[in-house]
Amino acid sequence: MVLLADARLPVAGHTQSGQLEAAVRSGLTAEQVPVFMRSRLASVVRVEAGTAVVGLHRLRAGLPLEPVLDAWAARTPSAPMRDTSRTLGRALLRLVKRLFPDSVHVGEVAALERPCRPLVLAAAAATGGLAPASLGRLVAYDDLQTVASAALKLLPLDPLDATSWVHELLPEAERLAAGIAPLTDPDQIPAPSAPQLDLWAQAHARTTRRLFSA
Amino acid sequence: MPETVTKDGTKDGRGLRIGVCGPVGTGKSSLIALLCRELAADLEIGVVTNDIYTDEDARFLRSAGVLDPARIRAVETGACPHTAIRDDVTANLIAVEELEEEFAPLDVVLVESGGDNLTATFSPALVDTQIFLIDVAGGGDVARKGGPGIERADLLVVNKTDLAPYVGVDPVAMVSDAGSVREGRPVIALSRTDPASVEALIEWVRSELARHRGGALVPADPGPMAPHFHADGTSHTHDHDAEHIHGHQHA
Repeated sequence: MVLLADARLPVAGHTQSGQLEAAVRSGLTAEQVPVFMRSRLASVVRVEAGTAVVGLHRLRAGLPLEPVLDAWAARTPSAPMRDTSRTLGRALLRLVKRLFPDSVHVGEVAALERPCRPLVLAAAAATGGLAPASLGRLVAYDDLQTVASAALKLLPLDPLDATSWVHELLPEAERLAAGIAPLTDPDQIPAPSAPQLDLWAQAHARTTRRLFSA
Repeated sequence: MPETVTKDGTKDGRGLRIGVCGPVGTGKSSLIALLCRELAADLEIGVVTNDIYTDEDARFLRSAGVLDPARIRAVETGACPHTAIRDDVTANLIAVEELEEEFAPLDVVLVESGGDNLTATFSPALVDTQIFLIDVAGGGDVARKGGPGIERADLLVVNKTDLAPYVGVDPVAMVSDAGSVREGRPVIALSRTDPASVEALIEWVRSELARHRGGALVPADPGPMAPHFHADGTSHTHDHDAEHIHGHQHA
């Protein structure tokens, strides 16, 4: 199940940089990428992971998911970021529908209007029997790996360095996973603010020359 | 949202998806503009472009004025044009489906790959049929070099034949070279200044559309494996994932 965060899966991961492309365009250097990754773990990734974990709980408890989607949207102020997550949700949904055609959980999430990616992951986790902490870890790892892979395309890097950054941030991902694992209510989803990431997302959506979709 | 491709790959009456690929500068965008110009009067068309930097091709097509700009979508490939048409077609498939939903019913969706090398061809999960482009200016020996697109794309177009005298290439020999590696699959020597060649291209598209509508068109994968030849004179390709048992040992 944890392999569902593998960037090699055919779910459009290669089109994403997690705002890194916009950051590089505005001057972020290779040495600063680990800090960038850590900032994401402290902000947008906590929202995504919290959304996934609360979604997982509610799927298992048979509770409606709309409040989770609303809570996620309220904590994701940048419209391009919401669009990206919904598009990636659609991409992942294609895969999980194929893998788990009979899953009620997948059906419930598919019935939502444009579900975000963490809720689709929650459906896969609910179907595959994943624990909340594992799901949180998966969301965090996926983000680290997405940014690291994009960094190799955007900056002059030794690929081994990028993998080392992911490795060095794993304890941080672990802390994040442990912190959000007990969450069950949409109101408990963390609501951190990262205006610079939001601004980069907005700016990137308007540029006409980009390698990555976001 | 209705899925347009079902699990077993059957089509719910959707339009024909045509892939256009080939190396950089061979004329993919111009070919698509040409198709739109010739076909838009009686067919509903959408276009998805893939580019290194997002939307150069989309902007070219929009500015060509051959199609409603809203029907032209650019997909970012994260610097992986080959991946986006072959091993992870998700972003392109979503763009195709969105066009099909928004402008339903579309007769044809053209998907333009980012200019890549001679080995890049479309996955049959993304397009129903595909055109591979080379051009005379790329050198007379390109067709002889072969590769999955040249040898096994549904249609090979040798483009810009009007430039042949200026680049010292014999287009007839080039088409003949291509024909010899394609085992009878069609080749068109195209020049936008040669109406007969344009007509041949349009005719091919219409016939593919008719085959698609009649259910006779089954997407064929041109690559990535090259066919190999056996001592008894037979040859075959290795289809992806196909269980393949050799009845004899290779020498």
